[in-house]
Amino acid sequence: MKPFEWMNATSVAEAVSALRSSPAPADIDDAPRPIAGGQDLLTTMKEYITRPTRVVNLKGIRGLNKIESDGKGGLRVGALVTLSQLEEDAMVQKIFPGLAEAAHSVGTPQIRHLGTVGGNLCQRPRCWYFRLEEVVCLKKGGSECYAATGENKYHAIFGGGPSYIVHPSDLAPMLVALGASVSVVGPAARRTIALDKFFTLPADGNLRRENVLQNDEIITDVIVPASKFAGNSTYLKFKERDSMDFAMSAVAAAVAMGPSKTVADARIVLGGVAPIPWRVAKAEAALVGKTMSTDLLASVAKIALQGAEPLAKNGYKIPLTQTLVRRALAKVGGVA
Amino acid sequence: MPQQPQAQPSPTPPKKKKIRVPRVVNGVEQMVEIEVDDVAGPGWGPNDKHTLLNHRMTRVDGPLKVSGAAQYTYDIRLPNMLYGRVVRCPYAHAKIKRFDSSAALRMPGVKAIIQAPLEEFRFAGSPVAAVAATTPELAQDAARAIVVEYEKLPHAVTADAAIKPGAPRVLPTEGPGGEENLTQKGKNGELPKVEAAFATCDAIVEAEYRTPRLHHCCLETHGMVVDFSGGDSATIYATTQGTFTIPGDAARELGLPQTAVTATVQHMGGGFGSKFGIGIEGMMACRLSKETKSPVKLMLTRSDEFLMTGNRSASWTKFKAGVKKDGTFAAMQATQYRLGGVGQGSQAGQPYAVYKVGETYREVYALHTNEDSSVAMRAPGHPQASFAMESLLDELAYKIGMDPVEFRKKNMPDKTYHRQIDRAAREINWTRRNPTPGGGTGPLKRGMGCAAGTWGGGGNDQCKVDVTVGRDGSVVVAVGTQDLGTGTRTYTRAIVAEELGLQIKDVVEQIGNSKLGGANSSGGSTTAASLSPSVKDAAYKTRIAVAEKLSPLLGNAKPEEIIFADGNVSGGGKSITWKQACAALPPAGLTAHGVWRSDLQARGVHGVAFAEVEVDVETGKVRPIKLLQVQDGGLPLNRLTMESQINGGMIQALGMTLFETRVMDADLGIQLNPSFMDYKLPGSLEMPELVPLIDDEDKREVVIGIAEAAIIPAIGAIGNAVFNACGARIRDLPMTPDKILMALAKEGRSA
Amino acid sequence: MSDEQDPKKKSSRYDPSRRKFLKGVGVAGAGAALADHFISPDKTVAASESVTTGEPIAGTVNIALDVNGAKRTVTVETRTTLLNALRNNLEPAVTGPKLVCDMGSCGACTVLMDGKNVYSCLVLAVDAVGKKLTTVEGFGSPEKMSAVQSAFVEHDGLMCGFCTPGFVTTISAYLKKNPNPSLDEVREACKGNFCRCGTYPRVFEAALAAAKAGVSV
Repeated sequence: MKPFEWMNATSVAEAVSALRSSPAPADIDDAPRPIAGGQDLLTTMKEYITRPTRVVNLKGIRGLNKIESDGKGGLRVGALVTLSQLEEDAMVQKIFPGLAEAAHSVGTPQIRHLGTVGGNLCQRPRCWYFRLEEVVCLKKGGSECYAATGENKYHAIFGGGPSYIVHPSDLAPMLVALGASVSVVGPAARRTIALDKFFTLPADGNLRRENVLQNDEIITDVIVPASKFAGNSTYLKFKERDSMDFAMSAVAAAVAMGPSKTVADARIVLGGVAPIPWRVAKAEAALVGKTMSTDLLASVAKIALQGAEPLAKNGYKIPLTQTLVRRALAKVGGVA
Repeated sequence: MPQQPQAQPSPTPPKKKKIRVPRVVNGVEQMVEIEVDDVAGPGWGPNDKHTLLNHRMTRVDGPLKVSGAAQYTYDIRLPNMLYGRVVRCPYAHAKIKRFDSSAALRMPGVKAIIQAPLEEFRFAGSPVAAVAATTPELAQDAARAIVVEYEKLPHAVTADAAIKPGAPRVLPTEGPGGEENLTQKGKNGELPKVEAAFATCDAIVEAEYRTPRLHHCCLETHGMVVDFSGGDSATIYATTQGTFTIPGDAARELGLPQTAVTATVQHMGGGFGSKFGIGIEGMMACRLSKETKSPVKLMLTRSDEFLMTGNRSASWTKFKAGVKKDGTFAAMQATQYRLGGVGQGSQAGQPYAVYKVGETYREVYALHTNEDSSVAMRAPGHPQASFAMESLLDELAYKIGMDPVEFRKKNMPDKTYHRQIDRAAREINWTRRNPTPGGGTGPLKRGMGCAAGTWGGGGNDQCKVDVTVGRDGSVVVAVGTQDLGTGTRTYTRAIVAEELGLQIKDVVEQIGNSKLGGANSSGGSTTAASLSPSVKDAAYKTRIAVAEKLSPLLGNAKPEEIIFADGNVSGGGKSITWKQACAALPPAGLTAHGVWRSDLQARGVHGVAFAEVEVDVETGKVRPIKLLQVQDGGLPLNRLTMESQINGGMIQALGMTLFETRVMDADLGIQLNPSFMDYKLPGSLEMPELVPLIDDEDKREVVIGIAEAAIIPAIGAIGNAVFNACGARIRDLPMTPDKILMALAKEGRSA
Repeated sequence: MSDEQDPKKKSSRYDPSRRKFLKGVGVAGAGAALADHFISPDKTVAASESVTTGEPIAGTVNIALDVNGAKRTVTVETRTTLLNALRNNLEPAVTGPKLVCDMGSCGACTVLMDGKNVYSCLVLAVDAVGKKLTTVEGFGSPEKMSAVQSAFVEHDGLMCGFCTPGFVTTISAYLKKNPNPSLDEVREACKGNFCRCGTYPRVFEAALAAAKAGVSV
């Protein structure tokens, strides 16, 4: 780790102001960083992937560690809420079971005791080229994504190019499926960003980051609205090693059932297969209005993986993800 | 240690005999001939007549380890101690063009920088330099501030790249045939005879099997603390499998006489074959200490550990095998490549020693890549060869429609295996095995498989043990050996306690120090069979010596007939307590010196593993359900720790079969997963039900080391269970979901 | 952005520039900035006043840590992890928690922070000020082991012992939360702790036995 200044911020304004760096950093990854749980940030700092000159501790900011009802069946989740707090919250378990499952699926108990909701959404990719200090890849200002033609077993089958990372967050696919948004504060006015607009594809040009946040912006809250499908949601994560792993593939699914097993509304978002949570709207559309059945799910799973472009070593993700889509939907759709 | 004359020195030199024993050099067993006494001495007696041995004894160092009080090398902190840090070469093959440490030397806290004694670097991770600074953080800063410019040279880091004609040459020397990267060609058998035998076979299988490079993953990384501040002596705290492998090398680096250097290892966090000698990291620690005249602690980082401390060699085996309808394995042709990086690699010759094959021919090569040299790792060469042979046997059995258990028995000459395989089959209820690989409905398929393994486990004559009894009844057993977590401390105490009729708590052991009696390195499962006979000999001599002193108090009973039991000493119709007995000893107490006795140990371990797994054919996930292993080992010194060893073997086998692999980028020439996040050790959720079974039908009254044997058979067993479950044969470890899904798709078996 | 760095440009496996991927080891910049940060007055942040200042601190600082019930002052850098502070900076050292992976992926450094098990290699020492820290030493001593520690010895839930402090700490914290767990719950609770020797089955046995004994941890 490079030495840095440590600052305990006591308010959002103070944090934002401390994050502004002057003069401008030599590189985007030298800029000051906020720290909450630090469960990802410190690993990137230890590998010199992130080299902040200043680390601003957000944990002393009051009011950001609460899970509150919005009074309309939705939730406001403070960015400092820990993953263990989220998974154990009775209200979350009841109203947004898929969100509790997604939180529970993260890392290990030790990680979840410190890791926060905000940090989980902002964590950096787990690509092994990215994580090795010596490799100056596209995401670190280099000229090439070595995964494209290298060891890409864990990489993207959707939305790849020129970088082929997959987004590592487990909360992100579920929150996108639930139509959540984040409240963001920076030097300008507070802004609310729908999560499906928050994450960015490498092809959009922002190669050094995975989302739209500026260096001096922080997430303060995640807003999860009430919906017809929220109570019928699930997160199915497939790990190569169950004890501790990031998703090889994952599916966040939520459906609202109409009369006689027809599907009134559906959300299907894939994790571990693309640089962003990958919503498969065509598959959702293929579900709506139909009667839940094993055959329907098989065909929806196929549609969900249409357009996948596997690399040399990750073709298995197609059948794997099809299975997960079927199983996740079977669970929320009440199909045996 | 106080050296006292032996109780009853023999006036005439004892009769000698010559025997062959294993000696371990850098973790690799070599057989040598030695001369030992050929006189009567203590025996272990029947295995079921012990009062402490062959029982379940908790570890004597357990309380220290569970409370954080056990001090490991990594925990040592000395006044004025500097911290070392290594700089590694990032390229698979390079030479240094420029090395500039001037800026680094000017940084705060930096005391010394040295270059590694190498000109050309042949693998990524090769140590280039090392720094000593006042804190670990400052040492890292300095290591990063050293400027090194390299001339990059061509490399080959995969078997496929290295074997191509015209491939970049890994080593400066070429092979005998002029091939770039093939050396050490060996041949065994006659090909025409094998070809003739193939013609008589009813079925032929041709298959290739591969196992990847594996890492030891010792939780305590390699390294040492050199306690030297100038002066005329030094102490080395080392995390090592060989206490006595340290002082000589360290002394050379420090410029001291070997006798002025003491090595100590009280507790160590895993070795598995990788920790012998001071290593290049130890060499650099010594040089930094010598230069700064300060104590230096140099423990490798986790990525250093992956990149520069060696690994298990990968393997690539090509088979053609022929079998007759009645199950006779009639002919086998094998080409075996040992992939030891810049080293030679290790692989047992085919056919794997458990099995007998009619006609055989094999060619063996070392195939070099620009990777760190392989080093010994638990049962060097056996897991690779066993996996290949056990997979092949299974393929042959299925091809002729024969039960894999029956097929194995048909080709196993040693009947011990028949006994073990029958027991294991019964225990796991083999008859409920899935009759059709991949059969049954639903995505979750259960399957079973089996395999066998063998190892030596004999000892040698290097352990010199002193048992001292104080006049107050206290007992110390002292020998310089080390406890790797195998339970050495516990059985050392127990042997003495049992011989003297005491309890384990009545004896204290002193180990892990090169100033104590000599001992062998813990490699090749040679520790138990080397140490325990010497301890037994010392304990026996102690008993007789004490008995001789007591004889006048016990009605002049013959010393051999005086009974030591339950804390009492009895003879001549009288009984006194141990404490009373010891009061009769001279003021300095009594010390007996034990030497090795070949008749108290032997070679030859047999083991059989059965596995049950569940394969999800829609995700490719293998869930291990049950692993069961029957293992012999003569006299089990401690049933509790022996079972733990068997469990450990099965779990490491599970890791090798399902999870572990070193991933290289062929083009960049670097390892992509030098971390515990990406090099996947099995964890708590990967554990099946584990059933370690000690084979008590083995009545040999001798000690045999079993640690290495324990890792071998479960690999083939799990692999064969995966096939039995899902019908896809994975010939390339590890059996990860991607491979299983793709293999199922190829076989048309996917959902 | 130059053409060469155009993200839309398709990468090529055989682009010779690919061989230029590695950074020169030890670029000067890594150390150059250091001087600025080490010239810093000692500043003590008391255990009780963890989050009362918006002033940045840099270089070395004196902090107070509450370790196993004792208030301990220690000098650290802002970048010093809690694990390293315990092992390298505290005097005398607390070496029960082990440094194994230093990346939050093995569990050997597990300590309790306000009663919750965390990886002390992924906590900065300056961020542990004001927290109640418990290491494996805090549960018992070799002479007076806790119920969990005794169960580990009794069931041989250890071999080389390097992962053991982490497992003992994790299991102790978990049994406080769930005094009567199932085998599956124990496995789930210690999935963030890894062992190489292969002690898992006996760690599970020890945890269940300690729970059954019903003795408070």
